[in-house]
Amino acid sequence: MSDTAAAHEAPTSTGIDHKKLIMWLFLASDCMFFGTLISTHLLYRKLYPAGFTDAEGHQRFIQNLFNIELTSFSTFILLMSSFLMALAVSAMHKGQIKSFRRNVLGVIFFGLIFLGCQVFEFTHFYHQGLTIQNSVLGSTFYVLTGTHGTHVAIGVLWLILMYFYSFTGKLGGHMGALDVEVAGLYWHFVDIVWIIIFTAVYLVEYLGPNGIWGSGLPAVAK
Amino acid sequence: MSSSHEAAPSPDFLAEEVRRYHHFIVLALWLAVVTGAEIVLIFLPLPVAVVLTILTLMSAGKFFAVILWFMHLIYDKRLLFWCFFAGLALAFATYTALLCLFSADRIDTRWFS
Amino acid sequence: MSHDSHHAPVACKTELAPERSDLGLIRPDRSTGLIDWLTTVDHKKIGILYGAFAMFYFLVGGVEALAIRTQLARPDNDFVTARMYNQLFTMHGTTMIFLGVMPLSAAFFNFLVPLQIGARDVAFPRLNAFSLWTFVFGAFVLNASWFFEFAHLAGWFNSFEWHKALVYTDFAPANGWFSYAPLSGTFGQNGQALRFTGVGTDFWIIGIQVLGIASLAASFNFICTIINMRAKGMTMMRLPVFTWMTLVTAVLIILAFPAITVALIELMFDRAFGANFFNPSSGGQPVLWQHLFWIFGHPEVYILVLPAMGIVSEVLPTFSGKSLFGYPIIVFSGAVIGFLGFAVWSHHMFTTGLGPVPTAAFSLLTMAIAVPTGVKIFNWLGTIWGGRVRFTPPMVLALGFIWMFMCGGFSGVMHSSAPADSQQQDSYFVIAHFHYVLLGGVLLGLMAGLYFWFPKIFGRMPNAPIAYIASGMVILGFNLAFGPMHYLGLAGMPRRTHTYHAGNGWETWNFVATIGAYILGLGVFLAFVNLVWTAFRGKKCSNDPWDGRTLEWSLPSPVPEYNFAQAPIVAARDAYFEDKHGGKRIGTENDGGEAGVHMPSQSWMPLLASAGFLFAGFGMPMMAMGIPHAGWIVISGLGVLFIGIWLWALEGPGGYMLKTPAASGTPAPTETVAH
Ligand code: HEM
Ligand SMILES: [Cu+2]
Repeated sequence: MSDTAAAHEAPTSTGIDHKKLIMWLFLASDCMFFGTLISTHLLYRKLYPAGFTDAEGHQRFIQNLFNIELTSFSTFILLMSSFLMALAVSAMHKGQIKSFRRNVLGVIFFGLIFLGCQVFEFTHFYHQGLTIQNSVLGSTFYVLTGTHGTHVAIGVLWLILMYFYSFTGKLGGHMGALDVEVAGLYWHFVDIVWIIIFTAVYLVEYLGPNGIWGSGLPAVAK
Repeated sequence: MSSSHEAAPSPDFLAEEVRRYHHFIVLALWLAVVTGAEIVLIFLPLPVAVVLTILTLMSAGKFFAVILWFMHLIYDKRLLFWCFFAGLALAFATYTALLCLFSADRIDTRWFS
Repeated sequence: MSHDSHHAPVACKTELAPERSDLGLIRPDRSTGLIDWLTTVDHKKIGILYGAFAMFYFLVGGVEALAIRTQLARPDNDFVTARMYNQLFTMHGTTMIFLGVMPLSAAFFNFLVPLQIGARDVAFPRLNAFSLWTFVFGAFVLNASWFFEFAHLAGWFNSFEWHKALVYTDFAPANGWFSYAPLSGTFGQNGQALRFTGVGTDFWIIGIQVLGIASLAASFNFICTIINMRAKGMTMMRLPVFTWMTLVTAVLIILAFPAITVALIELMFDRAFGANFFNPSSGGQPVLWQHLFWIFGHPEVYILVLPAMGIVSEVLPTFSGKSLFGYPIIVFSGAVIGFLGFAVWSHHMFTTGLGPVPTAAFSLLTMAIAVPTGVKIFNWLGTIWGGRVRFTPPMVLALGFIWMFMCGGFSGVMHSSAPADSQQQDSYFVIAHFHYVLLGGVLLGLMAGLYFWFPKIFGRMPNAPIAYIASGMVILGFNLAFGPMHYLGLAGMPRRTHTYHAGNGWETWNFVATIGAYILGLGVFLAFVNLVWTAFRGKKCSNDPWDGRTLEWSLPSPVPEYNFAQAPIVAARDAYFEDKHGGKRIGTENDGGEAGVHMPSQSWMPLLASAGFLFAGFGMPMMAMGIPHAGWIVISGLGVLFIGIWLWALEGPGGYMLKTPAASGTPAPTETVAH
């Protein structure tokens, strides 16, 4: 999205490109956005540490649902996509459009794998009896991770469009590199939000007898 | 419009990019290692408080590493860091306060799993 | 991206050769009339449109207010039904805050900020147009709920199957401007999602969501503009105070709105998909809604007032013939107010039982916020002190602002004390408080701004006698209407009840309040008529009729499309005033007088993209009504949004060169003033 009045005017007052500045401002705002979602989830975990009741009326604990291998894998995938994104931006700065395309394809591919894992996870949890409707836990979990997933999906779409746009030959020079860099900032942000979610939503549930939230409560078998 | 910027990158600039490239690779490795360590950590028989502290530090470390290197903040103007940090700090403070305002013993949780 | 800097500059955009965008479509650059206004990216035109819509909605909200006051004029009145009464106060509050004050502030941001910092436009002109149209469509969706309500009352829907299946048939929002859960949410377990209210709430949810997107987009843009597009020499501590307050407001918006965005998403999931965020029957905590709302809501009240404070800080020095007293302190306390504003949200929730420690903490923080506010007031007084005061209409309104706002501040400090607040909350005392700050404060400030800058915007001077009469009516009527509410509230009259019985001792003051409200309403109406008439027919005036201080007064009125023929260089705070009355403080850059000024191209895409919100915004409540296939309307809306943004990205920014009268620059000022 190239839309600056000053596209070819004098440099900006701070020397920072408009687009880069606005993206950072957006990310600052997005911190509050994800902060709200994450804290909604955490505070309900704090209030109701025991998990949820499935359709058969069994008490379920969330860590019995979690599949730490799968989540670790998709976390790893997302981290590596961030790495490739950094390389793609670097390639654009050097004007190496081919290398840019290769790396960005990798990012898109990894992004899609992440989304695939999420779809798999959601269906798995659903079959295990966790729905958005049957508990507060279901509501907060699906909406939080789903919103993150939506961010990833938008990022993937953005990068796909950029990939094809690069074949028109118009994605180049300083402005082209800037456009890619801004998309990269977005992508990395989505990645760091996941770093937080991975710890605050998944890992902490494994601590103590029943996650930090349930510590002190008797352990319950599957 | 971009034609004026099309000039070949200067050697200095390229050298800088190569240096960054190495940083990126090293960082990617570290991210993988730390994530692995996190996963091992949660299964170790350590006191919850200890594990939680280490986990928090590790994910904060990953968080800032990505911001500083992958997102170039360490190379960019300081102002950008403060723009972002304002949002981050505010979100952290506000929602920590919010979490503290809710407590299980102030509500009747008997009926809800 | 094709560029046209090689095209010969033209004197007027209608002389442009037809120019194709990167998509091959002809850009609407040469357009005039309606198409020009629909596709404009000029911050001044966008500002005027914001202002026009805001004034219209002020009148709508005013009619709603008068209906409320008419109902309350006598005890046991039945002018409107209880249900209609709830809808009236809900829509009144929502309209005034989101469709009146915020867009009118945005009108000033748009018109003034680029002029005050010496820029040719905002950083992202098309994004600016997108913000405008998104606001327009969001406002439209919200108010369309009235249409559905009246159609329902008239029985137009009776023959439809979906209408027969509805449990609740309230079509306009009726939950109050903060839509507290669980009333706005659901009850029942396992996704039954039984609702307490009809689709009015859904209209409210989607309307506020869309309006939030508009405000967010505009705020990113303005922060960027102010930080990045200042003229040479325009350091941060030389920025006009209005621009400073715009910056603080925009920062508040980008940090406060996400909380309500998420809260609205959660509420929508509760209502539409049976989630349990605020559903008390499944363990949801309705009080969480209150927290999330006020995490947004308290910063929001500063979002409303800071622009008005900025305006007053421009008006007072101008008509006192002195520079603003304690500029750095005013700026600093504005920023402190903004910052502290995030730490006091729970003072709206004292009566929910937060526990002793949080209650004490929020109480203290709320008292603390009165300090920077008081500092500002003293600085304003210091500005007038010893000045040669000219009591022009803007000055009268600005002085009214100080006085009325101070009264509102006093009652605010009163309910910062939690025990006192537990008596005052949900009573007419709170109504009195926030009308003193919002109406006596913000509205008077904004009206001062209108009277102050209208000569700049339209090059015409409003009729002064009418302006004095209108201002007098507003201030008098306002105090008659809201002063007695302090008493009514302390005498126990609850807020948000559609009527009261005789014999409580509330009759007299309610009647007085209603008379005051009508005087106030007539006063605002008269002022608006005066202003609209001025825009078209008013007497022409000079470029600098008030002996102004900031850069915008150095330009011709109305301001030419390109703002500054040559980019200015400033060497002082209040550079224009200093330049007129002291040494040389403004120069210009010799940047392409011959080549002309680069203007951004106009575009259909922002309008197209935001039209997506119109569809999506209508589709969601229609889904909730059970209208068949309404889901497709939502999906097509999202499709339109996506296509609009995509084409916007692909069309390229374009631009053309406009010739300006003066071709050579004047040298930069040599002496700088220490600031
Ligand atoms: C000295 C500064 C101020 C203080 C100490 C203060 C304090 C308060 C408190 C404690 C309440 C909650 C009352 C209750 O619900 O029981 C309140 C309500 C309110 N205040 Fe203020 N306030 C101040 C300034 C402002 C300003 C500048 C505005 C807006 C321009 C404002 C707008 C409102 C509104 C709209 C409400 C009512 C919200 C509602 O319940 O609907 N206040 N104020
Ligand atoms: Cu407040």
